[in-house]
Amino acid sequence: MNAPELPKSFERREAELPNPLPRPEGEFDALKKAWEPPRWISFVTAVNNTYVGLWYVGTAFLFFILAGILSLIMRTQLAVPENDLVSHNLYNQLFTMHGTVMMFLFAVPAVEAASVYLLPNMQAARDLPFPRLSAYAFWAYFVGGLVFFGTIFFGLSPDGGWFMYPPLTSTKYSPAENADWWLLGIGFIEISAIAGAIEIIVGVMKTRAVGMSLDKLPVYSWAMLVFAVMIVIGFPAIILGTLLLEMERAFDWPFFIAERGGDPLLWQHLFWFFGHPEVYIIFLPATGMVSMIVPTMAQTPLVGYRLVVLALIATGFLSFGLWVHHMFATGLPKMSLSFFSAASTAVAVPSGIQVFAWIATIASGRMKLTTPSLFVIGFLFIFTLGGLTGVMVAMAPFDWQAHDSYFIVAHLHYVLIGGMVFPLFAAIYYWVPVASKRTLSERVGRWVFGLMFLGVNVTFLPMHITGLIGMPRRVYTYPVGMGWDALNLVSTIGAFMIAAGVALFLLDFARNFRFAGENNAGNVWNASTLEWLPNGNYNTRSIPIVVSRDPLWDQPNLSKDVEDGRYYLPGTATGGREALVTSPFDARPQYILQVPGPGWQPVLAAVFTAAFFLLLTVKFIFTSIICGVLAVGFVIWWLWETDPGPVRPPADIGGGIVVPVYATGPVNHSWWAMIVLMVVCGMIFTCLIFSYLFLWLVNPGAWPPQAVRIPDWIWPALSGFLYCASAALIAVASRHLRGEDRRKPRSVPILIGVALLLVSGASAVDLWAQWQTALSPSAHAYGAAVYAIVSLQIFFVLTTLIMGPYTIARWLAGKLDSVRRTTFDNTMLFWFYTVGQGLVGLLVVHGFPRLTGGI
Amino acid sequence: MTGRRTAQVLLALGGMFAWAVQFALIYGATSTLCGRGWADATLLAIGVVPFAILSTTLVTLVAAAILLIVSFREERRWRDQPSSTADAFLSQTGVLINGLSLIAILWNGVPAFILPACA
Repeated sequence: MNAPELPKSFERREAELPNPLPRPEGEFDALKKAWEPPRWISFVTAVNNTYVGLWYVGTAFLFFILAGILSLIMRTQLAVPENDLVSHNLYNQLFTMHGTVMMFLFAVPAVEAASVYLLPNMQAARDLPFPRLSAYAFWAYFVGGLVFFGTIFFGLSPDGGWFMYPPLTSTKYSPAENADWWLLGIGFIEISAIAGAIEIIVGVMKTRAVGMSLDKLPVYSWAMLVFAVMIVIGFPAIILGTLLLEMERAFDWPFFIAERGGDPLLWQHLFWFFGHPEVYIIFLPATGMVSMIVPTMAQTPLVGYRLVVLALIATGFLSFGLWVHHMFATGLPKMSLSFFSAASTAVAVPSGIQVFAWIATIASGRMKLTTPSLFVIGFLFIFTLGGLTGVMVAMAPFDWQAHDSYFIVAHLHYVLIGGMVFPLFAAIYYWVPVASKRTLSERVGRWVFGLMFLGVNVTFLPMHITGLIGMPRRVYTYPVGMGWDALNLVSTIGAFMIAAGVALFLLDFARNFRFAGENNAGNVWNASTLEWLPNGNYNTRSIPIVVSRDPLWDQPNLSKDVEDGRYYLPGTATGGREALVTSPFDARPQYILQVPGPGWQPVLAAVFTAAFFLLLTVKFIFTSIICGVLAVGFVIWWLWETDPGPVRPPADIGGGIVVPVYATGPVNHSWWAMIVLMVVCGMIFTCLIFSYLFLWLVNPGAWPPQAVRIPDWIWPALSGFLYCASAALIAVASRHLRGEDRRKPRSVPILIGVALLLVSGASAVDLWAQWQTALSPSAHAYGAAVYAIVSLQIFFVLTTLIMGPYTIARWLAGKLDSVRRTTFDNTMLFWFYTVGQGLVGLLVVHGFPRLTGGI
Repeated sequence: MTGRRTAQVLLALGGMFAWAVQFALIYGATSTLCGRGWADATLLAIGVVPFAILSTTLVTLVAAAILLIVSFREERRWRDQPSSTADAFLSQTGVLINGLSLIAILWNGVPAFILPACA
């Protein structure tokens, strides 16, 4: 579908704005009514980004405080030598939970949460394209996160460190359920993060103000786009890692057990392929925030916009070449280490570009020393120090000296607190006036900054020395006379200074934050971007045309004209919630997206998803399965109400631009989401293939082990044929479903049904081929790796067994035809992916051992 | 996304993809060759590990250089006749990214000249 042409120049005279005044009576009331949140108990079913975003940020902050309290207990324990405030067992749980909660329950959700709130406002979109997905992500995280944290009160928390290295976390050394809480408890958080990432990618690319082409995209949106892509690439590695470790613990499949061909280093590769980019995953959104705050405080446009975008993209790539620098002490060849050393130093270049761009912006304007400015300056100071020690530990010989010592603790806290916590506080002080009727106190804010800035340096600066003179990390106490006493006491005092700063912030927040559905505090900083337009539950009254990166500075009447409804879509065309979908490069209007409203389905689906994972942890298998089935059921119910079809003819949104209220194919927002989801699936599969090859590498002459027989070629050939045949039938069904008239070809459900039989058969043949050779998944890592590939494929085939009948059901219910076919398209995309993955899996499992001939 | 737009994105990010390919191949080759005990094997009178690193670096370097040249041309083209500001922006960003990639690829290939293969 071609996007409607916009006028050659968006710079029109006032009289030429898309919609004239006065606006029709009732237009604004209808818009407000459509976006009204539910009341009373149903309030929890709200899906508006303004509500879900704030709940999300609030919950993330709650976990920040809870994990912070854990750190205070640890610092109190370490304040003096030979202290017995907590036992070593509890201390193990404390540091594991502190790291895990800070990284998984605070850092990633906090930046994702902030974007759920900010992105639609900043891009003048009515909401994110999948508001129910945001709500689902939030509730899964909220329920699951709180239960996960609650394990600390029962001595059940994981205790193997936040990176959970086997063999310490394998059944042999950690037979209790503590490790399972981490492995399964983190599962729903990963799902939540990926759901958020899909939402963000599609939101940034498809729902922007008209004319907000890529060159006018706020830097924050760029940062969130790179952030989300990094989650899509990085998180699958940890998803697969946790799956493999849990399969080892539950079924004795020896992926990480060296005696049976496994290798604990495989876990480290999978964990850090996620874990290092994770640092940048939380750092990039923070830099995006800083890039928005600095120009406002300096009252001048950001210097080096293109270079900053370059830096964000380059960081996104280079950060995936660093993971082994966490493994410098594992005995890998020096040549291999040097590649990661090189990339670790190279990544400092884009970070440096951003720092210099901010300094240049500050220098070219007149910086107001507000609380957000102070936190930004604090960030620059602390993060730069952390970056410098980062370059030090990027050198393998230095890292061997500092490894697992308090020097590393100091480095990572300088990077993470400087790179993420300070920008987040700057962001809260900066953007509270968008969400609240009152601003936070500048006077109290300075005290908060002072306490936190001094506290961080008092806590962590001495730790560099504590580490260099030999104190290892993760010890619950230490003897007198090691020279560590005074340094530890100083660090503990510093930790309580940070806590005092945070407590003061909470007081200020409680005193001044007053949620504003409408009538917020206004553009108190004279900022230039669209989140400072007058807004309500519907976000902006009309969707503006943007002509520069600083629209509020360059288009003086913009706020009033937007509020008066003079720009696009000032009401509701379909009578319900809508968003204007725009083209990804030039942001030209493409179609009106009918946005789903509040509903219990995402809330209940999320609760049962969390329950599924958590109950599985405590081995309540039957109840867990029931919860899993209920979660899927609620997702199906939720989806049933989507894909509404063209409920009315194309609508005039103003300025003579007429757009449809429904679209399919590559222009459709859910097509984009499916593509992103398939990239996630592809990455999980790629990581599994990497694991297979890695295990081959560590098993010379035993791939397969001598007693193992590889199935005959006939089996994979048959399986592959069945996969291809099923895909061909789906392609034929798609062709039958094509056309402009609302036909509903009878062949479609039959073709899907037969394709279901074929794809199931393909998977069954693949499994049977291995089974009949008596290959055991427990005897050797070879069998475990083969069955892991087969099992993942079965999972995908089972998913098609849900999607296929669902698509048929929609056809039977009259909700699928040649025009209203988004559901079919999504099923088709997933089907093709499943078949592709199945074929590659067959090739690897059956072809690779023959190719290498047991080398 | 149209074919033209996809090509623009691939051109703009191509250098970084070349870096990623180089990184994966040189790390994979080093791990495999060292892991299988082929540290002392030679090819064209140089060690098989440095050979793999240098040849991969050379190929990806050439690829990144070509992308940089094409990006420059695109940048000049859109500077003179911008059909949209996004075109000009993408082509300029492409020049920057491909330029940086060239340096990153070179930087990652340097260890082959300095370090022993599998020590």
